[in-house]
Amino acid sequence: MAEIQIDSLIKQFGAFRAVTDVNIKVKDGEFVFLLGPSGCGKTTTLRMIAGLEMPSSGRIAIGERNVTFLRPRHRNVGMVFQDYGLYRHLTVFGNIAYPLEVRRFGRKEIDAKVKAVAHTMQITDVLQRKPDQLSAGQLQRVAIARMLVRDADVFLMDEPMSHLDAQLRGQMRAELRHIQKSVGVTTIFVTHDQLEAMTMADRIIVMKNGEMLQFATPREIFERPATEFVATFVGEPQMNVFDVTLVNENGSIIAKTRDFNIPLQQDWVRRWGLEKRLDSPLRLGVRPENISVSEKADAACAIPAELFSFEPTGAENLYVLQCGDVTITTRSSTTETAGLSKQDGSRLYAGFDPNWIYLFEPGSGRTIAQALASRPDTTEN
Amino acid sequence: MRKLSYSIESPAVPPRQRNWWVYLLLAVVCALNVLPYLWVVLTGFMDGASASAPTPQWLFTPSLEAFQFLIVDKGILKNFFNSVIVSFSSTFLSVTIGMFCAYALARYEFVGRDDVSFWVLTNRMMPPVAVLIPIFVIFQTVGLLDSLIGLIILYTAMQLPFVVWMLTGYFRDIPRRYEESAMVDGDTWFAAFRKVTLPVMMPSITATAIFVMILSWNEFAFATFLTSNNAKTMPPAVMAYSIGADIRWNVLGAAVVLITAPIILFVLLLQRQFISGLSQGVVRK
Repeated sequence: MAEIQIDSLIKQFGAFRAVTDVNIKVKDGEFVFLLGPSGCGKTTTLRMIAGLEMPSSGRIAIGERNVTFLRPRHRNVGMVFQDYGLYRHLTVFGNIAYPLEVRRFGRKEIDAKVKAVAHTMQITDVLQRKPDQLSAGQLQRVAIARMLVRDADVFLMDEPMSHLDAQLRGQMRAELRHIQKSVGVTTIFVTHDQLEAMTMADRIIVMKNGEMLQFATPREIFERPATEFVATFVGEPQMNVFDVTLVNENGSIIAKTRDFNIPLQQDWVRRWGLEKRLDSPLRLGVRPENISVSEKADAACAIPAELFSFEPTGAENLYVLQCGDVTITTRSSTTETAGLSKQDGSRLYAGFDPNWIYLFEPGSGRTIAQALASRPDTTEN
Repeated sequence: MRKLSYSIESPAVPPRQRNWWVYLLLAVVCALNVLPYLWVVLTGFMDGASASAPTPQWLFTPSLEAFQFLIVDKGILKNFFNSVIVSFSSTFLSVTIGMFCAYALARYEFVGRDDVSFWVLTNRMMPPVAVLIPIFVIFQTVGLLDSLIGLIILYTAMQLPFVVWMLTGYFRDIPRRYEESAMVDGDTWFAAFRKVTLPVMMPSITATAIFVMILSWNEFAFATFLTSNNAKTMPPAVMAYSIGADIRWNVLGAAVVLITAPIILFVLLLQRQFISGLSQGVVRK
């Protein structure tokens, strides 16, 4: 059990920078997720922590111990690979016992430890089978058991759930989170699935093109995204973002697209100093759940829209609306929208909740105004 | 309902497979392959007169005359053991050395990797006879003529390209994850290779070894030119004892039995592993 400190970590493959200046401090026992699209450097970062890849520069410390250029076997980390990396010539028992045999534990001790961890992972009845006789879910459990069986300082997981079907993944999420908290070992988990990260993480590191965009709790990532990329990457369906210009109309500042206007809260405008950004292009973001839909135009729903496609998901209905050039997706509970037309092409009106509007800088994507109702996390740092 | 444009309908029972012609074809191929060999083996058990009779005889009194001539008079067992030593040693050496070479080619990025692997392949392109005389001269200079060591070195060098090429492909098919997870689990690189990669590779390595062993066992040209009394292996010995002024067919037949029996036994014993090794990498999960 240990904390992990990573300072200005860089990994270069020839001219290509896979990881650029990553700085992380993970607290003891924390469950931290590296989240990002494929090729964003998250797996490379994890492999550098494991020692399978050597950094080009920077420093990695596990519990005060500098491990930057140490061989994997001296780091005392446990790892689960995406394709599990189970040894197909050994039984499940042999696979789980392997790290203990390498460390020259006694036979009795190995037996007891393997049995205990197999019990935790509920794989006691397949211990004598070979990996190719197991289902994907069982393989995954074996791989996790092999990681748990050691007294590792840090656990590393590289997309361990990507081969499971959706239902099993849902089950494993709760189970893995529970195990991590009860074992209490600092864990870093790599995933491209924002749902996994949001549901299981203590804190999330969002990465893109080798850079760290934000390192915060799931709630803060969701409510106060650092960039437009983070805002759209987290949340399903993703945040609607489109081009607007701020204009001063009769003393109050509003956001304007070619086809419709969006009223804004004036104290929010003042708090983020938006008066200085009048008449320059900006990006406005609003999450699908913060848009209301109605059949009649009124003060709250004033934006005329045409229904492009209707997607019922059971408890919630998704309306994809065409408002001039802008396509927006809304999400509302089925009961709330029961009376609305579901025919493509019907006329509807949309309204944005002024408390949940974000503004981003075009180009850099930096957030220039967080939503009014969002709260910064004060428990961290 | 719309009228369909095609009217053929499903039969009431599923069609039966009738593949008898496949077996017929296989039987013909087998007969063509086995008959000449069978004839040579039969000849080995004839006496000199019936072996060289102008009309071939299917029925004859078996005699061990030819075997006695080879084993007792000529001491062919010495050549037999020479062959065993040379082919086992060169197989062991070429597979061991080639394995590491193949591993490096499959796993590591280094400058000139593709050049090295192409160069290895070009070694097989050259007909061996082309270097026969240079090698004879070299062996003469360093005193390796007519010695088992010389043959072992030569065969190892000859088989290496083949081993490297076969094993490189097999190593590429084994995910690096195996070694990586063993290394994270606390192994050194070599321990990971020995305890994880090698067991997984075993069928492929066995298949390669059998191949190489057969090639070394049957090698004729170099063995004929580079050996005389001490280190003569089976193939040149067979020719020397059975072909003189005229060909002694029964001696040739007996020699063929002696030279092929070990290989046939060997392959029969390891058949299953051989086939699973050859098909590894082809069949994927």
